[in-house]
Amino acid sequence: MVTLLTRQQFMLLALAILTLMTPIAATSFGAANISFMDVIHVFTNKVANITQASGMTERIVMELRLPRILLAFVAGAGLSLAGSVLQTVTRNPLADPYLFGISSGASFGAVVMLTLFTSSGFFDNVAMAAHSGIFSGSGALSGLLWFSLPLGAFIGASLSVLIVLALSGLGLNSQVERMLLSGVATSFMFGALTSLLLYFASPQATASVLFWSLGSFAKASWSLLILPTLVVGVSLLIILGMKRQIMALQAGDETAHTLGVNVPKLRLSMLLLCSLITAVLVATCGGIGFVGLMIPHTVRMLFPGRQPILLTALVGGLFMVWIDVLARCLLGNQELPVGIITAAIGSLFFLLILRRRRVVG
Amino acid sequence: MKLSAIQTSHGLNSKETIPASPQVALDVSHLSWSIDGKTILTDINFALPTGQMLGLIGPNGAGKSSLLRCLYRFVRPTQGKITLFDQDIEYLSSKAFACSVAVVQQDTPHYFDMTTEQLVSMGLTPHKGMFDTNSSKDGERIAKALEKVGLSHKMHQQYERLSGGEKQRALIARAIVQQPQLLILDEPTNHLDVRYQIQILELVRSLGISVIASIHDLNLASALCDSLLLIHNGEVSAMGTPTEVLTEARIGDVFGVCAQVSVHPQHKKPLISYFYGYYDATHNADERGEGE
Repeated sequence: MVTLLTRQQFMLLALAILTLMTPIAATSFGAANISFMDVIHVFTNKVANITQASGMTERIVMELRLPRILLAFVAGAGLSLAGSVLQTVTRNPLADPYLFGISSGASFGAVVMLTLFTSSGFFDNVAMAAHSGIFSGSGALSGLLWFSLPLGAFIGASLSVLIVLALSGLGLNSQVERMLLSGVATSFMFGALTSLLLYFASPQATASVLFWSLGSFAKASWSLLILPTLVVGVSLLIILGMKRQIMALQAGDETAHTLGVNVPKLRLSMLLLCSLITAVLVATCGGIGFVGLMIPHTVRMLFPGRQPILLTALVGGLFMVWIDVLARCLLGNQELPVGIITAAIGSLFFLLILRRRRVVG
Repeated sequence: MKLSAIQTSHGLNSKETIPASPQVALDVSHLSWSIDGKTILTDINFALPTGQMLGLIGPNGAGKSSLLRCLYRFVRPTQGKITLFDQDIEYLSSKAFACSVAVVQQDTPHYFDMTTEQLVSMGLTPHKGMFDTNSSKDGERIAKALEKVGLSHKMHQQYERLSGGEKQRALIARAIVQQPQLLILDEPTNHLDVRYQIQILELVRSLGISVIASIHDLNLASALCDSLLLIHNGEVSAMGTPTEVLTEARIGDVFGVCAQVSVHPQHKKPLISYFYGYYDATHNADERGEGE
């Protein structure tokens, strides 16, 4: 018992140190050669407000890397949070933020936008623009695309959620089952529509949809950061406020009901909240899988017997920041899509924990 | 909290001062429930005086759990009215209702990652607002409830790892933490050995609140309940003291067994002794027509 507690405390301590280190350390990685000390220098300058003379280093740190790291953190935290809450309220360990067809709905929306631009001759080197993102500094063309693609994704995601909600209804009876099944059906439906559109689309459009669907934080900027941060922050507050009710749902609908929880209403509002988080994140950074499913489980395994909502968000955020660092650094002159690395590293890590737990338990 | 304020304004007393004249904790009138055209409960009427313990008895499938579910509002009756301390339960908020009625169910879901202490502290749910944390007083209350059911030493253990009887006791501790004025128990003595069957029901009695419990063991119900409600095919077959309800004829009619009812040497209420040999009877002589 004592060793378990101290082990947990040790891990919490390590996590705290990592949290403090991450903004500085993660900022020093990237294509341009910026050292750890440079970053500290820039930060202290900013805080102390010493110089306005903006060097190249300062601009890269403040305009490119810092917002990118923050966006990665917000995305990781939001997806883990949504996954954790959905797993609890649906009592389904396999639930993730994309459970209700959100990602396929978003992909569909994105593809519709892309093909619209292609067919109207608007679209020439979109795939290239998608790869280089904001760094290309290209003008109105990619700007319009960058605006329309998230918008399309958001509309698509909302559409899929509305369909699921319409089908699952407010009744208590088998609400979860209907939600899950209609989610799967919606997912397949949008998947088919997306494939159909892609089948007739140009190869470039297909490539950029693929790239988009694997996720990237390349286009992060301070203005882009506002909406996701706001949505994830407010959702986190709401979820923390409803923590007792959400935990009560873990014990079953009937028990939660006897503890004064309005079960169908709570479940629906949590679903809506998680969908909002996911839709906003999908629209800003593309469909980053795996984090929402596995981070909550990982945290639960590392910290058994706790109900760690804040911890889940924190671990998810940190995980995503470092995954993004890898995405920037693994290949010398090119960025890897985040989704590939989250899935590859995350699943390995998860299997490792699973195995260790089995040996220990 | 809100509810108790309403009650005092209605001139009702909370459990600290139990009134001299028996007040009615729960009143059920003309309650019927049917689902998909199938009638489960028909015209149920009874009242539970404050501070008393009512045993709900009847064969499997008689409608005991359905009746209890109507009482704690998990299903909505098709007809009839249920009042809790003179208030129609239909108009109470989920929270206010849970502040005055606690329920211990038969079984809990399997996938359940919680320590015993966390499970018990769930009883605080209806009493807490959005960002309220557990105070030291809440901690004491949880510790006291765990002590009452004899689980203090298991408070940091995973709930899933407890034995069947310990789980049942943990659920009762949660109900104690919920500080209800009415406690509803659906077969609380399932999975328990005879010592804990007696201990749990005596513990529940000692709380001094109104209790409704469905109980299979007729001798246990006879010994520990103030009154009994016998349900058969969704209808009230008898209601009254154990002596009034538990007659040889009725046990034969409702449960289809032969029994002899005598007086218990200690508590003087009915003691039921069953006769055996139904298999032989139905297969050889076929005396009673229908056996079990």
